[in-house]
Amino acid sequence: MISVSRNRSRRLLAAAVVGTFALSLAACGGGGDSGSGDSVVIGYTGPLSGGGAAYGENVKMGLEMAVDDLNADGVEIDGNPVTIELKSLDDKYAPSTAASNAQRLADQDEAPVVVSPNAGAIKAIQQINSGRSNFLVSAYTSDPAIVQADNPLTMMIPPNFESYAKPFTEQAMEHGGKKLALLGTQSEYGQQWTKAITDEWKASDGEVGADNSVDYATVSDFAGPVSKALAEKPDAMFVGGPSQPTALIMEEARKQGFERSFIVMDQAKLNEMATVTDIENLTKSVGVLPVDEYEDPGTEDFLTKFADKAGEDKVATSETALNYQGVAIIAKAMELAGSTDDPEKIRGSIGDALAEVDDKYKVTGFPTEITDQGHLLNQELEVAYLDEDEKYNKVPVEQVSDTK
Amino acid sequence: MTLFIQQLFNGLALGGVYCLAAIGLTLVFGVLRIPNLAHGALYMLGAYVTYFFLATLGVPYLAAIGIAALVLFVVGVGLERLVFHPLRNSPHTHHMIAAVGAMFFFQSLAQVIWGADFRRMDTPITGSLHILGAEISAQRIVIIITAVVVLALLTWFIKRSIHGQTIEAIEQDRTGAALVGINPSMVSMLTLGLSALLATIAAGLVSPINLLSPTMGDALNLKVFAIIILGGLGSLPGAIIGGFALAIAETMTSTYISSAVGEAVAFIVLVAVLAIRPTGLFTKAVQR
Amino acid sequence: MSALKNPRNIGTLALLVIIAAAPLAFGDENYIMRVITTGLCAAIAVYGMNIILGFTGQLSLAQGGFFGIGAYTVGLLTTDYDWSFWSAFALAVIGTAVVGYLSGLIALRTRDEYFAIFTMAIGFIIYLTISRWEAVTHAHSGVNNVKFPEAGDLIDFSDPTAMFYLVFVILLVCVYITYAIRRSGVGRTLLTIRTSEDLADAIGVKVGLSKQLAFAASAVFGGIGGGLYASVVGFIGPDAASVDKTFEFLMFILVGGMGTVAGPLIGSMIVTFLFEFFQDFQAYRFIVLGPIIIALVIFAPRGIVGYLGGFVDRRNRRRRIAETRSTDEARGAAEPMETTTSEETK
Repeated sequence: MISVSRNRSRRLLAAAVVGTFALSLAACGGGGDSGSGDSVVIGYTGPLSGGGAAYGENVKMGLEMAVDDLNADGVEIDGNPVTIELKSLDDKYAPSTAASNAQRLADQDEAPVVVSPNAGAIKAIQQINSGRSNFLVSAYTSDPAIVQADNPLTMMIPPNFESYAKPFTEQAMEHGGKKLALLGTQSEYGQQWTKAITDEWKASDGEVGADNSVDYATVSDFAGPVSKALAEKPDAMFVGGPSQPTALIMEEARKQGFERSFIVMDQAKLNEMATVTDIENLTKSVGVLPVDEYEDPGTEDFLTKFADKAGEDKVATSETALNYQGVAIIAKAMELAGSTDDPEKIRGSIGDALAEVDDKYKVTGFPTEITDQGHLLNQELEVAYLDEDEKYNKVPVEQVSDTK
Repeated sequence: MTLFIQQLFNGLALGGVYCLAAIGLTLVFGVLRIPNLAHGALYMLGAYVTYFFLATLGVPYLAAIGIAALVLFVVGVGLERLVFHPLRNSPHTHHMIAAVGAMFFFQSLAQVIWGADFRRMDTPITGSLHILGAEISAQRIVIIITAVVVLALLTWFIKRSIHGQTIEAIEQDRTGAALVGINPSMVSMLTLGLSALLATIAAGLVSPINLLSPTMGDALNLKVFAIIILGGLGSLPGAIIGGFALAIAETMTSTYISSAVGEAVAFIVLVAVLAIRPTGLFTKAVQR
Repeated sequence: MSALKNPRNIGTLALLVIIAAAPLAFGDENYIMRVITTGLCAAIAVYGMNIILGFTGQLSLAQGGFFGIGAYTVGLLTTDYDWSFWSAFALAVIGTAVVGYLSGLIALRTRDEYFAIFTMAIGFIIYLTISRWEAVTHAHSGVNNVKFPEAGDLIDFSDPTAMFYLVFVILLVCVYITYAIRRSGVGRTLLTIRTSEDLADAIGVKVGLSKQLAFAASAVFGGIGGGLYASVVGFIGPDAASVDKTFEFLMFILVGGMGTVAGPLIGSMIVTFLFEFFQDFQAYRFIVLGPIIIALVIFAPRGIVGYLGGFVDRRNRRRRIAETRSTDEARGAAEPMETTTSEETK
């Protein structure tokens, strides 16, 4: 039996409690001492586990490829060679976790830039990235709310999704007809898309059916929702979410006899969809231009490198390609700013950096300018119409303003 | 009318899947008195193992499901031995958290082995049937028929075979069963193995019409819980009727009301039923 | 103050002092302050779970939902409707009390596993409502720029340290309420119910009403935690109300120790930091964390506080043998569910 004195056991208890707590604090606090000397950390917080993991991994792939290539080329800042390191954390798609991660990357790893691929997460990060902590958020989302927030340290990478509504509507009306069925995914982004396409379709004197959006991630069988949408006898159908389930929905619609046009939300990539279903099922659709259809100076090399790294089964998507470009832009901006630890300076140099980035990093519609709010733009944006002969036809896009 | 027939068959196919998954869960509850929150993860794992045998090793479809079901039977037994057996005398809160831990583990494991990407499982069963103007894919017919056959076999197993009868005996009276020489520990293993096996059959059937991903079990998990609560915990007929009823309610409300209501209908029905009958629809006398 | 002689209380006090001193050590570390402060918000909700689970033995899995209601009440009112933080916070408290009481009316008709899964369904319905009712909650777009509490020129709550102390003080109040409930007649009533609901009913305890109040109180704690959380993080999405949150809370309480005063706080802090620590393993962290969680519930089923308390109890038992039985009257109403040892003196 234990026969410690009363005092001793009391101390034992206190010490144990204090010890466990201090230990866990220390375990956490002792994390990072990098970021000094001649290396700089680029932080990344994205969904690396859970439902969004595939998406998060695609983004991470682009970041890794860029960091490898940049280090191989050599980055020199203020006369000193600097190594870029990528540090990734998993946020499971939860905005509050993403913000904690970003804070950690900025505090402990002294990352001047944190990449995040999810609008909710970016909004949460924007609460903390300029003020007590300072870091640039490299935002991979096409939600213009990100730049409307007037956050001085934001760089938004992809085009504003609202720009797609008009060309998509025109194409679908031309090849399909006037009646639209809605079957997008039930996510933040899917809901915004459904709304944008509804408004545009109505403005073009089209008829819009009921909102049949379902959560692509939780539906066990797409046949039910598809049957329902087709019961409206539409001429065109709006679909979109992650590529693979979107492809399944389109396949199911074709099976159930739908022969008209699809509008494919930009989250789904036609080339990636063709890996899970016969491309025949995807024809007569309008969507974003696949990466391998671009003819930028670096596209071909990028695709080769991607195939080496990811294997034959995977196709490169804009999540990978645009973030690849994004890191190259940031690295060049650091060089021009002559600083790895001043996010304001880095942000200020992005505009000049765009003209100086090496051609090999120009992969998919490389931006030519950055707006005051921090949106990277390429004036020559194009979308694709996949015709009955399984050929991509490029359609130019007139971009809308980011302001509300 | 065509739409109605179409959705009825879609609902029946979905119901077959729900049913197979729910029965395993309700059996486990009946015997071990625990809500196994890792059930959806077993379902997911079953899908991946089926995929492995089918796509990687080239085993024919139905054989692949069969082999995967046996593999998962072993996993289920292992889960009982390593996790639930040591906790047999703990309150159900501990089981729940342990099951959540197991769920996290299985999901990560699947992601490490098979990656986070969606995967598609192809089957030799293609084509479709025309029934009263509706277009029903052959895979869905297979799902409905297989579900009915498996359910019949299971009923036979539990009512007629020695091993199956021990399950029912333990469900009815644990102490009494032990007195007549039934080993509760063996029965627990058998039950968890069986539940994993049934979940695998469900997963193997549904995978060709959906995609595989490490989180595919999450959505199913909550619904299956709604079903077994609705049917009455531990009740086989309850799980069967509950499974089909909820699946059809879900497709029909999605069709005729809205998809948002369709998603929530399982839980709305659940709340409504429990408000009237707090122990579910088909509960047997509760042991005290 | 005989209470001060109890090692448990000393441990609790020591813990509180350490946490109170955290800003001195980490005041400049925004990240650590953020993790601690959000951890404290969760701890408040966990104290709520402790009331219903630890004291009456019913496992409520709706806590994540109530947390979400609190968070969204504060979030939406301070942004879309431009209320002040304090009035929104007050409404969050009242709102969760009402929702908690009403859902308790139905939920408490069920018992044990039924109650657990039923409340999980309630939590899920709350989550679905928040994530689908776009016109009001903005669904997945979330609520941005939630206000900090106002305090005139007195205190600037945008300072993480100030916010930390606010949450901490409210947590203290919650800890004290838990402690007071445990020692009060109400606490005894609840524990009687836990021991045997039928017996309690037979001896004239108002079982229904007591459970009803305990459930509402636990919901209110969830709402308080959520309301503060919304202000601390500034942006909330539907994940604030998810069922995963509930299981997180449940993990906190199990690791800390059910039915104890310090357990929820210790559990929240340790598990939060454990999760942050394992972040370095990214997607693979649950390969390690999953088995750790299982091992914890198997090998330390009474949680950390219960485990430490085991030492104290063994010593007390020895001491008691030598003492008179006069102290026995004060005990009984004070022990957590699994600790069959209720030898503790007050």
